[in-house]
Amino acid sequence: MSAGIEALNVYCGLAQIPVRSLFEGRGLDLDRMGNLMMRNRSVGLPFEDPVTNAVNAAVPIVDRLDPAERDRVEILITSTESGLDYSKSVASYVHEYLGLPRSCRVVEVKQACYAATAAVQMAVAYVASGVSPGAKALVIATDVALVDERAQYAEPATGAGAAAVLVGEDPRVLDVDLGAFGNHSYETLDSARPSPSFDIADSDRSLFAYLDCLTNCFEDYRSRVEGADFATTFDYLAMHTPFAGMVKAAHRKLMREFTGTAPAEAEEDFTRRVLPSLAYPSAVGNLCSGSVYLALCSLIDHLGDAGGPQPDDRARVGLYSYGSGCSSEFFSGLVDRRSAEELAAMRIPDHLAGRCALTFEEYAGLLPANLRCLVPDQDRRIDVEAYEGILDRARIDRDLLVNTGTKDYHRTYEWLSYE
Amino acid sequence: MNEDVIFETVKRNVLEVLPDLEPDRVTMTGTLTDLGANSVDRADVVTMTMEDLGLVVPIAEFRDVHDIASLVDLLKRQA
Repeated sequence: MSAGIEALNVYCGLAQIPVRSLFEGRGLDLDRMGNLMMRNRSVGLPFEDPVTNAVNAAVPIVDRLDPAERDRVEILITSTESGLDYSKSVASYVHEYLGLPRSCRVVEVKQACYAATAAVQMAVAYVASGVSPGAKALVIATDVALVDERAQYAEPATGAGAAAVLVGEDPRVLDVDLGAFGNHSYETLDSARPSPSFDIADSDRSLFAYLDCLTNCFEDYRSRVEGADFATTFDYLAMHTPFAGMVKAAHRKLMREFTGTAPAEAEEDFTRRVLPSLAYPSAVGNLCSGSVYLALCSLIDHLGDAGGPQPDDRARVGLYSYGSGCSSEFFSGLVDRRSAEELAAMRIPDHLAGRCALTFEEYAGLLPANLRCLVPDQDRRIDVEAYEGILDRARIDRDLLVNTGTKDYHRTYEWLSYE
Repeated sequence: MNEDVIFETVKRNVLEVLPDLEPDRVTMTGTLTDLGANSVDRADVVTMTMEDLGLVVPIAEFRDVHDIASLVDLLKRQA
């Protein structure tokens, strides 16, 4: 039985700000920019919310399904740390605007940046179990950023957007190694979102928990997978990426712990096995719940670029997902030529390059409205046309869902036509 | 394990992670942050020191360590 990821796409917004502009605008220490290893961060616009990000990520996948295949989407799971309501799920709106069948389970899950991986693994297990042969499940990790100058050095690292993951029996993008996984979870408060309008974070505690969980997840993985070796089992690695520099530190730590490799040697290994996964995260920032899937997209679109196996070679990828609070997982799967072809159809490089570059003043002007994105106003009207100056500078080549406000707490949406 | 041995190991790793640092600036009363170590650097110093000393301390234990003296103290208690 094969099960895994049949299709994958990301939506990373219509605007971005160069990280240097943000450092300069905030008066942050430019010497610390190198440590982040980031060039740009995606910035949401006030008419984008967790629903529009999710739908805009998934539409290109759903559009490629024929009607019979679409009817086999039996589970829709949204994973988010940007919930809109204590009761009503983001998935309920997404189900409507994607036009998925009524015979579909609809649910939302939460565990900071980890939840999407729990959902993907449960979906893979559902497909692999054979209880409903031919079934598909759509998992969408979707978030918005609630950071401003209070977040200090986390502000330039925080992205926004969504990753859509279609799970089924024909794993064209990632053939998941069934039964090969390791988990590690315990209670801690390293970062959290205690209200709809701000985040709290303890960067040292979060970094240590991330590193601690990686070591322990891999130990658990090794206990299930005979002969698994961090240095040789995986041709590539794709990890949850709070900022690219942290992934580099994590890789260095595991190389030291599990293989006794000195830092200089680890650098060469990092370039070959890890760097291809960081191109998109470095241009987007932390995609939160979708972060590890953005890293996987980056890897598949850059297979072989830095001396690793080419798309024609079947390559094993080790994936690490971490979510504050905390829960985490190390798992693996295979990618090949079909993965590269399937993902190329999503044209992610064009999407990222087409984002409008904001000035710091434009960015700062958007923040007050963005910070209200999740606040449950009974009635609110969002004037999409007020942002035409930014929209005109973004390259948009398809219809996009936009949030036009709320009416009696019910969120209202429209399709923005690109013509 | 001798406190001086632990401190010298911490110091050696601080200087490896921050090679431009004046060695005399690394003292028991200082903090890694004041020496210019960012969060990734601090994690590197801690994990490299544990490795050198042959200690395995759950890394989460280090979250309340704020200066070099408390780092040395924690490692000494686990040795």
